[in-house]
Amino acid sequence: MKYDVAMENGYAVVRLQGEVDLHRSPEARKAILGCLQQGHHTLVDLSGVQYIDSSGVASLVEGLQLARDQQLQFGLVAVSEATLNVLKLARLDTVFAIQPDASGFPGPA
Amino acid sequence: MRSVTELADIRPADLPSPPRHAISIVHTCSRPNITSRKLAEIVTHDPVLTAELLRVVNSAFFGFRTKISSAARAVTVIGHRALRNLALCIAMRDALRSDAILGFDINQYWETGLRRAVSAHKLGAEIGLDADECFTIGLLQDFGLLVLLYLHQDKVHEWERLVQASPDERQELEYALFHATHDQVGVQLAESWDLPAEMIQVIGQHHASLRQGLSEEDERLADVALCADWMASVFSAQDKRLTIPRCQAIIEERLGVGADRAIELLDEVAEGVEAAAEALNLKVQSQVSFEEVLRQANLQLAQDNLTYQELTWRLENALRERDRYASELNRELELAREVQRSLLPRDGRACPGFHGMNVSAKEVSGDFFDFLRLPDGRIYFCIADVSGKGMNAALLMAKTASLFHCLGKGIADPGALATMLNREICETSVRGMFVTMVLGVYEAENHRVRLVNAGHLPVLHLGTAGSMQRYEATAPPLGIVPGLQYSASEFGLGTGTLYLFTDGLTEARRADGTEIGIDGLLTIIRRNRELPPGERVRRIIEQVQRASATVADDLTLVVLEPAPGSDDD
Repeated sequence: MKYDVAMENGYAVVRLQGEVDLHRSPEARKAILGCLQQGHHTLVDLSGVQYIDSSGVASLVEGLQLARDQQLQFGLVAVSEATLNVLKLARLDTVFAIQPDASGFPGPA
Repeated sequence: MRSVTELADIRPADLPSPPRHAISIVHTCSRPNITSRKLAEIVTHDPVLTAELLRVVNSAFFGFRTKISSAARAVTVIGHRALRNLALCIAMRDALRSDAILGFDINQYWETGLRRAVSAHKLGAEIGLDADECFTIGLLQDFGLLVLLYLHQDKVHEWERLVQASPDERQELEYALFHATHDQVGVQLAESWDLPAEMIQVIGQHHASLRQGLSEEDERLADVALCADWMASVFSAQDKRLTIPRCQAIIEERLGVGADRAIELLDEVAEGVEAAAEALNLKVQSQVSFEEVLRQANLQLAQDNLTYQELTWRLENALRERDRYASELNRELELAREVQRSLLPRDGRACPGFHGMNVSAKEVSGDFFDFLRLPDGRIYFCIADVSGKGMNAALLMAKTASLFHCLGKGIADPGALATMLNREICETSVRGMFVTMVLGVYEAENHRVRLVNAGHLPVLHLGTAGSMQRYEATAPPLGIVPGLQYSASEFGLGTGTLYLFTDGLTEARRADGTEIGIDGLLTIIRRNRELPPGERVRRIIEQVQRASATVADDLTLVVLEPAPGSDDD
């Protein structure tokens, strides 16, 4: 799995790509938590994710929970269809803030 | 002086203050509309400083081509920015007297500080940046370390350790000793000295993995500062064999300067430090040459070879130890597995119509299922999958299973039970862990089922005539949203069969890499529908295992199929 991180609209945007599965999700987790630990409001761009399994979903949930504890904003952007189906199956689409792109978020307060 | 324990406690008054005249030149040079004449006037106010600046400007290190003999000429020939940088170097040099830190000779610091500055100077010239500006940034970024020692004078005995650490280790060590790092304190100092904003950003972010708001040139400056840190540590680090190749790799990655060229630049550092010390009138001991550093690195390598036999002996011992620990661990795991097995229903006879099986991918499982007969004859059932694998998932599984078994006896409505379980798990579980779960109550006398699907895969209801109904998740998994209310839905089972399963069965991959998926599982279920339910459960799991090249997850399957004529059992 490849990922990169960039600042956009005041958010750290972690762009994940490829397959986020048991072997690759630790990297995704590290990237997401790293941004939050540095105090950035964080978005995860999932447009390039072709497959995500429960361990990948767990990394997103952990990001959400850490953000909540640190009072930071956290959201998902450009969620690929494959990922959205997985999130919907577990009704996690009701838990995450999801937008087509970073401009859909209000910007850090 | 006041003792400072946290970064946030540091007040501007605690920090070293710069010599007034030198810093006022720094500020004046940064003003956009200042004329050279005005600037020269300000410089000449202080004859000592003027003489000092002229000496630096005419030194071999800073080497401006023509001899400069007056402040006015210095301002026009070298420009405002270069003058600012030189004045800032002098301000840093004079901010602390050589005895300002009790029991520590500040000249020791200048030796390493100048190595960073000279390294930055070399790197800057190499990649086409303003080398003198790089020198100043190199000196300024490391100056934070001196300030840390100044603020924590009880820690000066740690100096050797700090110097011998690689830049990565030093960041950690600084944090452990001072609760702050040299770049953080450098920023505070630069702010209290009112230095230009872009300089503050560069020193504050040269170690950061994610930099913000830097121009392209400042980004390069920050990279130079980071690489200079590594170059200087080649001379002082304890383990030189490791530091040299890491330094080369970082310079190549950040600045695109090849490994051989990096060695040539390292070779020039010692001489540069002596020249810079002379220019700034600082006393440093004679410098260790890079040749000497290489000799030490080779010596370390040779010593390693000598101790090869001892290493072999130690390795053998370590392997024996490892085997001993592994067998102890296996015994512990076997006990954990036994505890887990005890949480699964032992005797299905108390709950007729229910059949379940769990096969774990590791020694312990994150899946579980349970059936529980209530005093009024109804049967509570559940299937659940804890996110993650291994021991942490197994412990959360054990907790959830116990809560279900215990609370289920007193809370008849599955929606209320799910709400309660969610609250308990949210309160106590580790971040990032959650439980997808289906829990329901079956009333045998009228074949009705009330169930909640909390983020779990759909429950499949297969009719005898081949019909199929899916009961999808209606709410997210347990353990994510505190205070969420779950509600149950109700339906008649008729003569059909209910299948509950975990994602190990659907995410198992065939040899061609494709997932079995819900459709694939359905095909396997239908292929075995004539078998008695207990046998069917076993066969379905076997066939999933056979169809998949790899099974990475636990496999759990529960079937509810009341035996014909068993309504009031």
